[in-house]
Amino acid sequence: MSVKREREKVAEIVRDAGGQIVGRTRLQKIAYLLELTGQGEGFDFEYRHYGPYSESLTDAVRVASAFGLIEEEEHVAKWGGHYSIYIAKGGGDTRPQSARAAFAKAAAQIGAVELELAATAAYLFEVERCSDPWDETSKRKPDKIGGGHLEKAKEAYRQLSSLDTPRPLPKIA
Amino acid sequence: MAKKRPQRVRDPLHNIIEFGSSEFEQTLWNVIQTRPFQRLRRVRQLGFSELVYPGATHTRFAHSIGVFHTARRLMKIINDAGGGVTHKQDVALAAALVHDVGHGMFSHAFEEVGSELKLKMAKHEHVSDILIRNGEIREAFKAELGSGFADDVAELISRRGPVDLYDAVVSSQFDADRLDYMQRDRLMTGVQNSGIDFTWLIDNLELGEVPVGSDDEQSGSVPTFVLGPKAFHAAETYVLSLFHLYPTVYFHKATRGAEKLFSTIILRMFRLVRDGLIAKTGVPANHPIVLFALDPENIERATALDDAVFWGSLPLLANAEDPLINRFADRLWNRRLLKCLDVYQHIAAHLGAKRGSSPDAVRDSKNRIERATVSVKEAIEDWLSTDRSDPPRLLIDSAVREPYKLFDESKGALNQISIRRKGSGIFDMAELSPVVAALEPFRLLRIYYSEDDKDALKFALKVIEENENKESDHVC
Repeated sequence: MSVKREREKVAEIVRDAGGQIVGRTRLQKIAYLLELTGQGEGFDFEYRHYGPYSESLTDAVRVASAFGLIEEEEHVAKWGGHYSIYIAKGGGDTRPQSARAAFAKAAAQIGAVELELAATAAYLFEVERCSDPWDETSKRKPDKIGGGHLEKAKEAYRQLSSLDTPRPLPKIA
Repeated sequence: MAKKRPQRVRDPLHNIIEFGSSEFEQTLWNVIQTRPFQRLRRVRQLGFSELVYPGATHTRFAHSIGVFHTARRLMKIINDAGGGVTHKQDVALAAALVHDVGHGMFSHAFEEVGSELKLKMAKHEHVSDILIRNGEIREAFKAELGSGFADDVAELISRRGPVDLYDAVVSSQFDADRLDYMQRDRLMTGVQNSGIDFTWLIDNLELGEVPVGSDDEQSGSVPTFVLGPKAFHAAETYVLSLFHLYPTVYFHKATRGAEKLFSTIILRMFRLVRDGLIAKTGVPANHPIVLFALDPENIERATALDDAVFWGSLPLLANAEDPLINRFADRLWNRRLLKCLDVYQHIAAHLGAKRGSSPDAVRDSKNRIERATVSVKEAIEDWLSTDRSDPPRLLIDSAVREPYKLFDESKGALNQISIRRKGSGIFDMAELSPVVAALEPFRLLRIYYSEDDKDALKFALKVIEENENKESDHVC
């Protein structure tokens, strides 16, 4: 049996998420939450500015793009920031929806700021053993929690927690 | 009580660095005297670079003091703009001084070993956090600055990205760390490119506000350092200078080759120790590397390792029973490094866009180079997994250094270089400079082989040529 290459793994994540993921932050956080729920591809994550981040996932995206497995479109947001849209070659997965695909699709629909906050809180609880991960998230991301983002992030986390996954998300919301 | 006298350090880059008579600066002077900080005298800033640049023997000790000195200059800009918040300022200055205390022997080469073996104590951020929150450094801070000070310093460093201006002094595109190491590494290696106009940059540094967000969503705005319009060209040079240090110094083929020998030796030592075969390593059972391999979660054992310990072990390792350890140790001890085949350059020379190519053809060429590079790496990895030679006949080194870019998913808005343009607001450096915007990542794939093993070299060249030909057939 041939070994699945990293580029194929990242392309499958995009396919499972409906064939398209808007933003590098979303892609990173979806991949992390898949790992956390036992549905991941084995990417290693560490804490960076936007929360859990995998360098090997970033490398895999670049390679997948060169091999034509995904297409990366670069855009300028209304607020002046730059972001990418990842599109899987051949669109989304047409097989009957798996639990992983349902989870990835649901995560891809969450706002980027909320998903970043939710994945960060999960990481801080799981890896850094923070007793109050939302409080720690607020301290580390004071520029992200305003405008009700933190509450929305908790709600999004609760919704993701209610989905069927091999391993439950940590009970933090 | 008598006022304490200022202390001075003579530094090759900044000349005199003074620690004044204030309680705060005297406390920092006490921190420098602690064992964890003094250990930095035995961790070279550039690891094996002195095998290429004999002058590059400077240590993380000298660099850390230089970072503090530079941070103090940056902080003055915040103070002059009326932003002086004493506690936050002190925490950031202290963090600038101690940010590197957790570095292991040969810094990132050891971190790569740690990443492969999943060793938490090989991550300098993790070790720094423990060293600052506990033991001598904590006590030195506590004596004058209170019990929570060490935790505040550790928290700033662990955030892995700035959330305010004070953090940006310690960690950003324009932080004290980078401003020191760029100049210090250039001075000590002797390379003549990569000079920056430090004085002009500092003199044109102002405060401003930039929007922040994630992907397509804005979440607010944050204050940050902004360069005035007159520093545009100095900023452009700064970005290019940093980028050029990678091929010239940090990613030099001989330095990286030595790092590969080092990491391969350490990986083998770990395997032997874990298999109960300590005698084969060539060092005694109470050697610091063996003790760490036996108990890698132990902070004392992690910090017992430094460059001096490894260099001192080499004569023993060169006589190890294990064939990989003895051969590679002998190579490092006598600087008989493996030969290098630069795979990426070979492929780029064959598949690179021809003169006068259209933008589409250039893009297509980049993809072909990337595919061929990845395919060669995979083919050689497959070959190595079936070849039973010991030591392995080829060592692979692969890395990518991204240039400055408009957005980096591992960093934040405070990591961008912002320029104020007269009359039209604040822009990102890459929006104003076509030179910076056009920078491509520096990519390397190199293979190291023994000068005696022509067959291994032939095999590698055959794989490269096959993949170049395959991609040449795809030319539009």
